[in-house]
Amino acid sequence: MAEKPQPVQVLYCGVCGLPAEYCEFGPDFEKCKPWLIQNAPDVYPDLLKEANAKETDKVSDQLQSTSISAGGGSSTSKPEEVKRLPGGKIKKKDKQEVIIEKVVRNKRKCITTVKGLELFGVKLSDASKKLGKKFATGASVVKGPTEKEQIDVQGDISYDIVEFITDTWHDVPEAAIFFIEDGKKVPAV
Amino acid sequence: MFKKFSSEEVSAQNQVKASVQRKIRQSIAEEYPGLEPVIDDLLPKKSPLIVAKCQNHLNVVLVNNVPLFFNIRDGPYMPTLRLLHQYPNVMKKLQVDRGAIKFVLAGANIMCPGLTSPGGALDDDVAEETPVAIMAEGKQHALAIGFTKMSAKDIRAINKGIGVDNMHYLNDGLWKTERLD
Repeated sequence: MAEKPQPVQVLYCGVCGLPAEYCEFGPDFEKCKPWLIQNAPDVYPDLLKEANAKETDKVSDQLQSTSISAGGGSSTSKPEEVKRLPGGKIKKKDKQEVIIEKVVRNKRKCITTVKGLELFGVKLSDASKKLGKKFATGASVVKGPTEKEQIDVQGDISYDIVEFITDTWHDVPEAAIFFIEDGKKVPAV
Repeated sequence: MFKKFSSEEVSAQNQVKASVQRKIRQSIAEEYPGLEPVIDDLLPKKSPLIVAKCQNHLNVVLVNNVPLFFNIRDGPYMPTLRLLHQYPNVMKKLQVDRGAIKFVLAGANIMCPGLTSPGGALDDDVAEETPVAIMAEGKQHALAIGFTKMSAKDIRAINKGIGVDNMHYLNDGLWKTERLD
């Protein structure tokens, strides 16, 4: 057999995930720059020059007035830490809250939907199982209106569920649990 | 095509039977003779091959949950960019000029002038309806995988309109889906 072609190791940017040379076309080149300077200086020689120029500027600044704190200078070059989706879209910080809503199905039957448990790192399938077991009803993970997954539990359990949630998942504070009553958000406590 | 793609698009995922697996291997080996020496590494005979069926008649071939190839309907299998970056010489390459990069990375199809301009390059052997790697002026790595709409000669001759359909490009949904489970 012919010799195996070795897989090429491609340098992917640690910030945006693209191959380093495509960072300039990536979602946010500015964010990648510090990483590139450190890890792939040869891909963008201009960048290094630029950085060096800045550096020398800074040095000369410091020479001029030693009173300027070095911390102030370096903090500007530090990348802001913003959580980013791989797509580069700024991840909207979803408010961490659990929303409980009672939907009346037909007069005396209802469904309790629980939204937002996943924001606390709870696995929804596990959660639905636990809920079903605890309340001896059907509980399932369903896709909600906005493509988000929620748990539907049969029956009206809205009062017991708060205690149950806080007991089973200690990460979920009671203050983060809300009811929806008449279209208004009401804190559970 | 993969502009929006995530695990939610997958409608069914199943381990395929050995005969289908063999077929897939065979068609990949046929399409990409350059991959033949390494195909045993890529698609180990032992480990299960999973095909994820997605919307729009799209199939993604997974090994150990890593997407490696995709195809549409019964079309040719195309490697994902991550795989292509590792074995860049298995596909025919077309090169676009620098100005086009931005648009290609936004998911645009590749227009003929971008390929015929001084910054672009064309492999004259490329026929129509074949998968190609889209390279870019001054870059080492592929930035997209395309499916030619015209042959290279036609691209040169007509020099207008869409030359290559953009199937999969850097930073699209499939690129971001490093693992699918």
